[in-house]
Amino acid sequence: MPLPVQLVSNPVLPVTCHAWNADFTQLAFSPNNNEVHIVKFDIKTGAFTKLFVLTEHTHTVTAIDWAPKANRIVSCAQDRNAYVWTYDGTKWNPTLVILRINRAATCVRWSPNEDKFATGSGSRLISVSYFEKENDWWVSKHIKKPIRSTILSLHWHPNNVLIAAGSSDFKIRVFSGWVKEVESKKPEATVWGTKMPFGELMAEFGTSELGGGWVHGVAFSPSGNKLAYVAHDSSIAVIDAENNKAISSIATKDLPYRCVAWLGETNLVAAGHDYAPISFTFNGSLVYGAKIDVPVKKEDKTATAMAKFRTMDTKGTTDSTAVGVEVDSTHQNAISEIRVLNGNTFSTVGNDGQLVIWP
Amino acid sequence: MSNTLSGYLKAIRSSLEAAFCVRNFASQVVERHNKPEVEARMSKELLLQPIVIAREKGEKCLIEGSINSVRISIAIKKSDEMEEVLVDRFSRFLAQRAEDFVILRRAPVKGYDVSFLITNFHSEEMKKDKLIDFIIHFMEEVNSEISALKLAVNSRARVVSGTFLRQFV
Repeated sequence: MPLPVQLVSNPVLPVTCHAWNADFTQLAFSPNNNEVHIVKFDIKTGAFTKLFVLTEHTHTVTAIDWAPKANRIVSCAQDRNAYVWTYDGTKWNPTLVILRINRAATCVRWSPNEDKFATGSGSRLISVSYFEKENDWWVSKHIKKPIRSTILSLHWHPNNVLIAAGSSDFKIRVFSGWVKEVESKKPEATVWGTKMPFGELMAEFGTSELGGGWVHGVAFSPSGNKLAYVAHDSSIAVIDAENNKAISSIATKDLPYRCVAWLGETNLVAAGHDYAPISFTFNGSLVYGAKIDVPVKKEDKTATAMAKFRTMDTKGTTDSTAVGVEVDSTHQNAISEIRVLNGNTFSTVGNDGQLVIWP
Repeated sequence: MSNTLSGYLKAIRSSLEAAFCVRNFASQVVERHNKPEVEARMSKELLLQPIVIAREKGEKCLIEGSINSVRISIAIKKSDEMEEVLVDRFSRFLAQRAEDFVILRRAPVKGYDVSFLITNFHSEEMKKDKLIDFIIHFMEEVNSEISALKLAVNSRARVVSGTFLRQFV
């Protein structure tokens, strides 16, 4: 049974992004404005209490990521800035990141070893940032070629070097984010390639021969040998690097997905404009699973004479469907982000201000 | 007449359901701006292919989508000159109050009578299904509104001319 929690109410605002801490007791999210809210969260009951509100950004916060081991949060916004927040025991302190981008930042992810992070932006580049101790700030290197439009989604490979990026120029690319200032040795060869200097394009895939769609979500499998992506042409695909980078894709009948995540090496879950997550399995080829949702039973509004006249007065019609504004799924609006907690449990946030935990 | 209307509206409804999948997208051309890309039209890759759904020559609907906004333009059927004047007055009446209407565009797109502009901010505040219901309902009602107006004009003309000519009887 999914556990829905109304994170934002009075007024109901979308939750644009969220991130969990190491033991899933705290949650950082942004209610579609320039603030980052940190709440203490109980996964079993869904009760939450507000701990901190971080207000350093001036425009909408687009992405948040929480590094579990180092306990640092990175947030990026449409004001072209990103901040790394560190906890000193009483409050969170921001450190400015010199991204050197001149358009909005769209997505941010810590690398698996948490020594660097990658930020996608509307300046048609990816900024890989690492900490420079001499000046006490975070500096960035840019990956530019051959990106031709805004980066919409990012994901790191578990080897701490490769980055998958989905962009609004309909392509998915795998780049090398190897930074010699933080890495101790050269990376070992993987199925994606052997030589990995910084910024090297390891692989590039289009979404379809007919053009395709904007790539809203990308995700490496836990081993890093498979890459899944979802695009605006309602397709979901998995690229199997071990199998000569073969693409197995499905054109679904659903509305486009916004995000995708792996639950293990063979199970995927994708969610988006259809308000409910869908499960898929990949065993050599991608197979559509099922919609994971328990329809919320609407209360039967009995058509009393009083109710009829009231709706005629306020809404100008006696049609009962015109009055009800509830959709019969757990999320009432599009889902914007998925985060995997552990095993098969994952959480989704959407434009209805809800966080839903799916066990 | 209504047998083609329901097919027409069903086609528009399914096209709108697909076109309304919009997301927040900051401008990649002007820094710190967030414009509806269907109006700005500065990056070709962010625009979807426009589609026209036509019931007949003078009654059609143009749906232009993009990554963060949708523009829907409707051409209302005008069978004679009286209806042309009435449709023009009706659409100007609506368009002048576009600010209160929220989703209405102040000027219709060239070749059409009414245009709606719906952005990701509207889809975050309002339910997508209800917005589509509203637009379909609007299209259903607008034809009957125009015929009612035409009847009202004709009957008023009859009354006025009768009263005027009575003085000569």
